[in-house]
Amino acid sequence: MMRRRRIGVTATCAVTAIALAACGSSSSPSSSSSTTTPSGPAYNQGISSVINPSTAKGGTITYDDSSTFDSTDPGNTYYAHVWNFSRLYATPLMTYTSTPGSGGNQLVPALATTPGVVSNNGLTWTYTIKPNVKFEDGTTVTSADVKYAVERTFDRTVLPNGPSYFQLLLGGNASTYPGPFKDRSKNLMGLTAVATPNPTTVVFHLAKPFADFNYVVAIPQTAPVPPDKDTGANYQLHPISTGPYMFQSYQLNKQLTLVPNPSWNPATNPQVSQLASKIVVNFNVNADDIDNRLLAGDIQMDVAGTGVQAAARARILSSSSLMKQADDPLAGFEWFFYLNTKVAPLNNIACRKAIEYAANKITLQDAYGGSVGGQIASTAMPPTVIGYQSFDMYEALSKPNGDPTMAKSELTACGQPNGFTTGIAYRSDRPKEVAAATALQAALSTVGIKTTLHGYPSGTYYSNFAGSPAYVHSHDLGIDIGGWAPDWPDGFGWFDEIANGNAIVPAGNTNISELNDPVVNNDLAEMESASSTPALRATLANEIDHKVMSDAVMLPIVYAKSLLYRSPALTNVYVQEYYGMYNYGVLGTK
Amino acid sequence: MVTFIIRRLVGTVFILLIVAAVTFAIFFILPRAAGETAYGLATQYVGRNPTPAAVHAMEQTLGFNQPLYVQFGRYIKAIVAGEHYLGQWCGPPCLGYSFKNQQPVWPQMVSDVPVTLSIGVGAAVLWLVGGVAIGVISALKRGTIIDRLSMSVALAGVSLPVFFTGLIALELFSYKWPIFPNVQYVGITTNPLLWAKNLVLPWIVLAFLYAALYARLTRAGMLETLNEDYIRTARAKGARERTVILKHALRAALTPIVTIFGLDLGLLLGGAILTEVTFSFHGLGLFTVEAINNQDFPEIMGVTLLAAFFIVIANLIVDIMYSVLDPRVRY
Repeated sequence: MMRRRRIGVTATCAVTAIALAACGSSSSPSSSSSTTTPSGPAYNQGISSVINPSTAKGGTITYDDSSTFDSTDPGNTYYAHVWNFSRLYATPLMTYTSTPGSGGNQLVPALATTPGVVSNNGLTWTYTIKPNVKFEDGTTVTSADVKYAVERTFDRTVLPNGPSYFQLLLGGNASTYPGPFKDRSKNLMGLTAVATPNPTTVVFHLAKPFADFNYVVAIPQTAPVPPDKDTGANYQLHPISTGPYMFQSYQLNKQLTLVPNPSWNPATNPQVSQLASKIVVNFNVNADDIDNRLLAGDIQMDVAGTGVQAAARARILSSSSLMKQADDPLAGFEWFFYLNTKVAPLNNIACRKAIEYAANKITLQDAYGGSVGGQIASTAMPPTVIGYQSFDMYEALSKPNGDPTMAKSELTACGQPNGFTTGIAYRSDRPKEVAAATALQAALSTVGIKTTLHGYPSGTYYSNFAGSPAYVHSHDLGIDIGGWAPDWPDGFGWFDEIANGNAIVPAGNTNISELNDPVVNNDLAEMESASSTPALRATLANEIDHKVMSDAVMLPIVYAKSLLYRSPALTNVYVQEYYGMYNYGVLGTK
Repeated sequence: MVTFIIRRLVGTVFILLIVAAVTFAIFFILPRAAGETAYGLATQYVGRNPTPAAVHAMEQTLGFNQPLYVQFGRYIKAIVAGEHYLGQWCGPPCLGYSFKNQQPVWPQMVSDVPVTLSIGVGAAVLWLVGGVAIGVISALKRGTIIDRLSMSVALAGVSLPVFFTGLIALELFSYKWPIFPNVQYVGITTNPLLWAKNLVLPWIVLAFLYAALYARLTRAGMLETLNEDYIRTARAKGARERTVILKHALRAALTPIVTIFGLDLGLLLGGAILTEVTFSFHGLGLFTVEAINNQDFPEIMGVTLLAAFFIVIANLIVDIMYSVLDPRVRY
């Protein structure tokens, strides 16, 4: 509890330091020096430091988006950048610490006063909400508003986009509850797994222990919604704010304008701030034009946070002045090839190891844009996941061009000394994947492994092709490209869907290797047991990472990176590690 | 004449019905014929990682498990009489409900029409006036450097796609020399001056594409007409050269231009797609691209129907104009 409290204080200081550049006077000098930029910006400085710390108020921050949000409704979104942006108007029970560096992966209470209090052998999680948080209309937030926010996510016909964790984890009538729009019980509050014994307490009853539940309530779905203001599918047009900004106008998928929320009390959530006097988001803007507008100073941020396009990348990397204004952080996800354990001859581990050794990691990295597009990966889990430890089991780092000698040795061990034939599946509408598949094909051919390339449309890649074990088996797709980004940055969030034997399903399968290793399965189960601790989860995550790699079921390609341009007009800019992009909750403008 | 128009209007309704049936077949019958299940279709409307119960609920809501003729009947009925979707009323003409945006399709398209009209009408005036003027001058200066230069520019206009000329125009006139900085669509009622200023580049870029075609057509028509006997007769009678060209030659050469102009206005959505995407203007063109990118079938079907409607109406107007000019086509 002390540690959690201290994290909260540090977070408060971090944001305040952003604003005041003076938190160091009351905190440790090291903390202060790591979050300010006394001598001007430099390339990648926004990854570890706050750029342009300032308390200045006023001005307009304009964001552009080359597409649209999946929804502005906090209960109906699954996009990382929308989760980031939604902190401006939605306050979930927990959130991530607003600070640069690895601290940005740490949870802190937002609407709640403390992290969940666990009881009943891990089956009950109790949160006390802050008593003085108000909606934009001045009414006080109660625990019933949080319960209602969770209830409405159960109706997937109205809110189809968000995660389904509450449906999967909660006990009581969660498996049959239809959501408040179809709920016919008295007071329309019929989800029995969530109780509100008083206006400031909300209690979640789980079907089985789930130690990562604090991460689940950090998803925007727990941001309170007043039942009498809920307009169902139309709530996205004006979510009732509990954050520093509120909706002034929203032309769906065209332009969103936020203005300061007069009912917001900065003391209730120090992870966000209210500096700009207006925030505008333009949707469906040409991607290259976004970069031009960003570099010209017409806008201040590309809200998608996935980095600039190829043309702007070339401009930035060839100009020292532009490069100073850029950051190339790890984006939080990894690209890799699944090596299927059921497709012969890859059902023999030595054949899979031959592929691990034969692959040329340099050409694979080039396929993803070189060192700016990604860092060569040697593990199944990226550095942004808690518990990560670097290791190099198949010489990806020490011999990045591949090791044909070791590959041939493994081929002999698997009874295929002259190589074998298998298929590579990839998404044909993704140029980087086409390039990666081609690069792997070339590298494997040097040791006698012949591959056939099978491109599929990305829209049905998981539902009909690589994610269908029957299809994979019948078409000999021994190697299948994939990528992963977790909903929360720990080992369970990373591995449960891609390495748990229980996650293998007939369609939409994301454990494409079809790994069913009892050690991995047990470790994942132990992670979520009632007795699990953060330290244990970190240890187990590292153990699973080693096990997955020793099973040779994944050929890591790169830890993805995004070249971001930070507008000189912005203040308090830094990369938040959890989102892998700039923290939109604290930005101001000069 | 009235009978002719009524007959054509009835035909128009049938054509639209056929277009509706074909688009419906493409998006709902073909996937089923290819082995897609009702459950599989429903998964496209329930986001990531849906529970089976959620998919089944959506399957019921959208009626994917009903016979196809019932689904088509429901689709047509919605267009005529409206329909309820997820508690929202989608009034007629209800061209479907976007489950991606969770909004009826028709109001979204209606709100985009002014943008496409703003681009299209302004560009149409430019390309008609500019194209015809260049064509006339080229014909009169046949074989000279002016003719060759005009036709070279026209050839470039036809050859260069809008997304190329648009980006070049933005790079030069918005970023390098910011004569038109921060180009964004502004409503004509909000600020008429800014509306016009921000539309100048899209107008020029779109008009450049079409004007080239009109210039070549006008030139060809003028050269043909100028060799006619009645032109020689007019000159022999002592008519002024200006009268000969504008009143006699151009008038005759314009007939096919007017026909094509009507059809081009109907097909404007095609040009608007590239122009709106390049300049990030939220009109019907960008709406179409977004719908396709998101595989938002109701929106794609809606915009297909609307585009078909515009083309059919444009054809109808052209036919009516023909019937006025040449009474023989009425029969």
